Amino acid sequence: MLHSTADPGNSGPASRLGAQMTDRRHGGVSKDESFARDALPWMDDVYRFALALAREPADAQDIVQETYLRAYRSWHTFEEGSDCRRWLFTICRNAFLRSRQSTRLEVEVNDADAEAIASAREHRAMIEDGSDRVLASVDLGPALDRALAGLDAPFRSAVQLVDIEDQSYEAAAEILGVPIGTVRSRLFRARRQMQQKLRAHALDAGLGHHSAEGHRDA
Amino acid sequence: MPEEIHAIDCQTAVRQLWDYLDEELDDRRMSEVRQHLESCSHCLPHAEFGTRFIQALSSARERHEMPPDVRPQVMAALNEAGFSTD
Repeated sequence: MLHSTADPGNSGPASRLGAQMTDRRHGGVSKDESFARDALPWMDDVYRFALALAREPADAQDIVQETYLRAYRSWHTFEEGSDCRRWLFTICRNAFLRSRQSTRLEVEVNDADAEAIASAREHRAMIEDGSDRVLASVDLGPALDRALAGLDAPFRSAVQLVDIEDQSYEAAAEILGVPIGTVRSRLFRARRQMQQKLRAHALDAGLGHHSAEGHRDA
Repeated sequence: MPEEIHAIDCQTAVRQLWDYLDEELDDRRMSEVRQHLESCSHCLPHAEFGTRFIQALSSARERHEMPPDVRPQVMAALNEAGFSTD
């Protein structure tokens, strides 16, 4: 593990030593200076992840604020040089779970390989009915946003971390507190569900033709 | 000594396609899938579609910007908690 335990909870003794405390772990600069340098630049990324979890902008804003307050109070546990964005994402996810008074958001999908094969089958159907042209359409972005917003939170958070925030499977697993296999399964199912929604959108928009089988939603 | 690259069938390639596009396979498996895609007209379109799909998703970064009022409010909360760079 590259960094110390994220989000240990409320402020501990070390975090109360004062804003100007100098900490060897933060390169000889003050706690606040290192926090401003290493943590604050990721606020946009934390907001996107919070929005993916919470869906509502107002809720996302509360979660971002809670994330940064907890990060600030726990800053003494962050190891300089480790991945601060990953650390903040972990705190953000925990803040979201606390806001929903839920300890875990688990929807287990165990067969990633089957999802990958189903995804290719879905793509084959898109080629056959012409709806694969949706990836070249101008309104692809909004269509993708709707497809993403329609996913259940565990699937949405996997897509957000891996596809949008460019986290590895390993990093996403650590942030979400689940095994890598679970991240992989959720991610592949999420992509397949989004493909299905894109296909439905494309056919409704006149890109491609409805087959006798019609199109299915996820 | 480099590991030997084995030919894989379409089902194996498709099963590993997302892992391949995400660059999550080890070197040998990356090479096996790459080699298969280079010679398989059936699987290559799936890889091209997957690539475009992931690229389109990653562009959501630009569409989901943080509203301008969030940062000042977070900074105000931090200042109240003792944060200061003065």
